[in-house]
Amino acid sequence: MFVSEPIAVTTQPPSPPLRAPELPEIFRALLEADFTVQLRNNRALLLSFALPLVVLFALFASKFYSALGDRQFRVAAALTLGMASIAILGYSMTVARDREKGVFQRLRVTPAPTWTIMTSRLLVQVAAILAMALVVLVAANLFERVSLTAEAYLLTFICVIFSSALFLSVGQALVGLIKSADTLNAVGRIAYLPLFALGLFSQSTIFGTTFELISRWSPGGTVETLLTGAMNPSNWNSDTWWALAVSTAYSVVFAGIGIRWFQWGAR
Amino acid sequence: MTGLALQVKDLRVSYGPKRAVDGVSLDINEGEIFGLLGPNGAGKTSTLSAIEGLLKPTSGSILIRQVDARAHPGPAKALIGVQLQSTSFQSELKISEIVKLYAGLYGVPLTQAAIFDLLTEIHLGDEASRRFSQLSGGQQKRLSLLIATVHNPPLVLLDEPTSGLDPQARRQLWDRIEGIRKSGRSILLTTHSMEEAQSVCDRVAIMDNGKILTVDTPAGLIEKHKNDANVLAVARGQVTLEDVFIGLTGRDVRE
Repeated sequence: MFVSEPIAVTTQPPSPPLRAPELPEIFRALLEADFTVQLRNNRALLLSFALPLVVLFALFASKFYSALGDRQFRVAAALTLGMASIAILGYSMTVARDREKGVFQRLRVTPAPTWTIMTSRLLVQVAAILAMALVVLVAANLFERVSLTAEAYLLTFICVIFSSALFLSVGQALVGLIKSADTLNAVGRIAYLPLFALGLFSQSTIFGTTFELISRWSPGGTVETLLTGAMNPSNWNSDTWWALAVSTAYSVVFAGIGIRWFQWGAR
Repeated sequence: MTGLALQVKDLRVSYGPKRAVDGVSLDINEGEIFGLLGPNGAGKTSTLSAIEGLLKPTSGSILIRQVDARAHPGPAKALIGVQLQSTSFQSELKISEIVKLYAGLYGVPLTQAAIFDLLTEIHLGDEASRRFSQLSGGQQKRLSLLIATVHNPPLVLLDEPTSGLDPQARRQLWDRIEGIRKSGRSILLTTHSMEEAQSVCDRVAIMDNGKILTVDTPAGLIEKHKNDANVLAVARGQVTLEDVFIGLTGRDVRE
């Protein structure tokens, strides 16, 4: 029931700066809010950590999966799944949902430049991906005895950041091309096949050499090749360089699509 | 001397071939509450959206306290507070965190105590840990208005601020709007409510088909148009603002 209360009118708000805020102030506010949202989003946390760990343990649980590739490759596959999950089901879904609700329109009427709104969200996703990578690598070391040199850990984290650009740009492209959050949810799940599952066969000819070639140069395949190389720097070869180049090309293309067709409002 | 809080000149906004705003010009004085009245699709929200920077006008100029909003959107946005027609915030944030976020975006650092004080002022102190979606319609509108004014802007833009509210909540919000004006700020609001226009606004513009048809005080509009044939045709007894509105914009129901 509505209870009429005495009116207290805000006539003197706190401090009146009447100036355009500085970029660090805007970023601080956005990052704090976006990190809070990320930490409170149970679905995002589950996708970030549980899913890649389940896949990691599954890939090491059966001899069948050893046919897919060496131990580093299977760790790379778990990392790739984690990145794809965070970017496609996490990032793009959150953006689509917030767009439908009008969250972005409310942010856009503030002095925050639009690029800061999206950059803040992307930085939070990159941080989530790095945290996921740390957890997966520690689990791989503790439970599957996949130990890396310090140089390999460093290179792997650099490549994870690099690879996250590919998957986040795919997520941006999806949310740029698809307006409805429900449709995006459905398409995002299907997108796992070309983006992640296909790449699982990039070191295996069990479905023939043509399939292996397609798999190797798929987005997931290039990232898995790149991460496998990073985890074993002595084996970094021309294929790894090519994987780096192709994943860069994928990032540029998908980011271009995502920026070109992205709309801030749902209507 | 009283200056102008907002100057809009010959504003035009198009959606493809459709012209939503067609040469709108208006001035809003400091400390003035200015109402935009119009049927659905008249161009009120598009006009507001262009001033807020959500829509890119095809032509025209927008000066907010002499700052060119089209050339310098950042500084111009710092001078306005906005309450959108339907507002939503990140569902994972508590309302105290929402206030902190938006204060931060305007460069206003707030302590937890200051946030609590602000929420208490609008009778939401006990709701500080709740989510926006858990608030009632009236509470959501009060919070939105608080966020729109958290940086003490000289110009506040309110898009149908009382739509969907019960009479008590609407009266409360009118008092808050009046309070904002008393602190020297100007307000541009859109509304469908003639009662709101008469109770709250110093001046009112009636819009239709993207154009401003007439501007004056509510009483001045009645006086100016009380003998128009179209107005007399719809009047039932003494001419009211609603009669003027329907007389100027027609009886057709808009989608």
